[in-house]
Amino acid sequence: MTRFLLSLLGALVIGALIGLYLGWVQFPVKYVNSTAPELAAQYQDEYTVMVAGGYLTDGDVEGAIERLRLLGRENVPAYVQDVTERYITNSRDVQDIYALVALSEALGRLTVIMEPYRNVVVPEAAP
Amino acid sequence: MSERTKARKKARSSTSQPPVPPKSDVKATEDADLSPAQERRHSRYTRPRRYVSRVGAVLGLILGLAGGLYFAWVINPPQEFDTAPWQLRTDDRAQYLVAVMISHTYRNDLSDTIQRLVALELPGDDPIQQVADVACNLARSGYVNSSSGLRAIRRMMAFYQQQGKSGCADTLIPAGDDSSPEVVQAATPTPSLQPPASKTPTLPAPTRPSPTPPTIIVLPTSVPTSSFTIVDLRTFCSSEFPGVIEVRVQDFEGTGLPGQPVRVRWTDGESTFYTGLKPERGPSYADFEMEAELSYTVEMPGLSDPSTTPLVADSCFTEFGDQSVTSYRVVFRSN
Repeated sequence: MTRFLLSLLGALVIGALIGLYLGWVQFPVKYVNSTAPELAAQYQDEYTVMVAGGYLTDGDVEGAIERLRLLGRENVPAYVQDVTERYITNSRDVQDIYALVALSEALGRLTVIMEPYRNVVVPEAAP
Repeated sequence: MSERTKARKKARSSTSQPPVPPKSDVKATEDADLSPAQERRHSRYTRPRRYVSRVGAVLGLILGLAGGLYFAWVINPPQEFDTAPWQLRTDDRAQYLVAVMISHTYRNDLSDTIQRLVALELPGDDPIQQVADVACNLARSGYVNSSSGLRAIRRMMAFYQQQGKSGCADTLIPAGDDSSPEVVQAATPTPSLQPPASKTPTLPAPTRPSPTPPTIIVLPTSVPTSSFTIVDLRTFCSSEFPGVIEVRVQDFEGTGLPGQPVRVRWTDGESTFYTGLKPERGPSYADFEMEAELSYTVEMPGLSDPSTTPLVADSCFTEFGDQSVTSYRVVFRSN
């Protein structure tokens, strides 16, 4: 009986470790039906840039704000300013920066670091 | 010495290394010497014991594995991080797709746009058709109630139409310049009035008072060159006209325009009707009867933005204290 219990206990521990490895590392839970605020930061930035690009083509500030509300930010202008300054600081794609600066300016969040990117005529992208 | 012993000795002396019989032979020989009772006792009590119980080990492994997985997947799953757009719920994914579309207008990079669409992992194999499907769903929802939403859907339509795709949004949100004249037949017991002059293409045949009902009125839905906006939207409470949306369509001078399409949408439906079908109320007049407690938007399809204020058919009291349903008067005027 002792032999059985010891075997059971040992295998239980080994099995549990294998189960944890499989459940946490090899086949972790894949979340679906997530909300936009749960998006990874890089995708939130990407979304913001896309919305800013849309603003640059139609000048619809309210539409841009409405779309950015999806990210669950309480202060959308401050959030756009933050993303814009981060893009400038990190020397990201200049077309993205143009769009973000334009949107920041429209939201009344133009800062000194954004000045060089203001009122720049964005060249037509090659088809 | 027996004969057998002699034979054994002879066999041993013939080789330096005595042959080792196979184990099975040994066992068979030993077993052959044991009685059945001795054999049973031998197998149960004299067999060398393993250190591990096979049953216990297998049982423990299964239980441990199940417990470990349950803990890792249910009790304490890893915190959600690095969520990608494809993991979003359907509504948010649609909004992300809208952003991709409006961004496409800015960047005009088709391959990048397609990659983003593919990364969204929307149902179906064709990412461009997925855009058409999402545009269709949005066109059916209240998303079109804002000018931003309407504009976004039109961009989506332009995108998938350029790629040779189509969707129900094409019919729900017709383009302003490609709608063909449409004949509407309506029976009316009252004479039709001469439509007044307008800046829109003139109606082909002035209708004359008809002595006998019903009269067939042919109303071409010619599209004016300019769009319309809602210049007046107000409520009224009447026991005579409860829960009615009264619409008037005028040109920029305020002259009524007959034959203009007006669309009313609600949560799960829509209705399109035309001005001028009740000539006793004037050529620019059209109305729609609401259902109590439902919320509606009104627009001229392809010619105006939808009303931003929802028209709700809630209860009201008339000036005489009678309970009724709120009605609305909406005036569209050409820009």
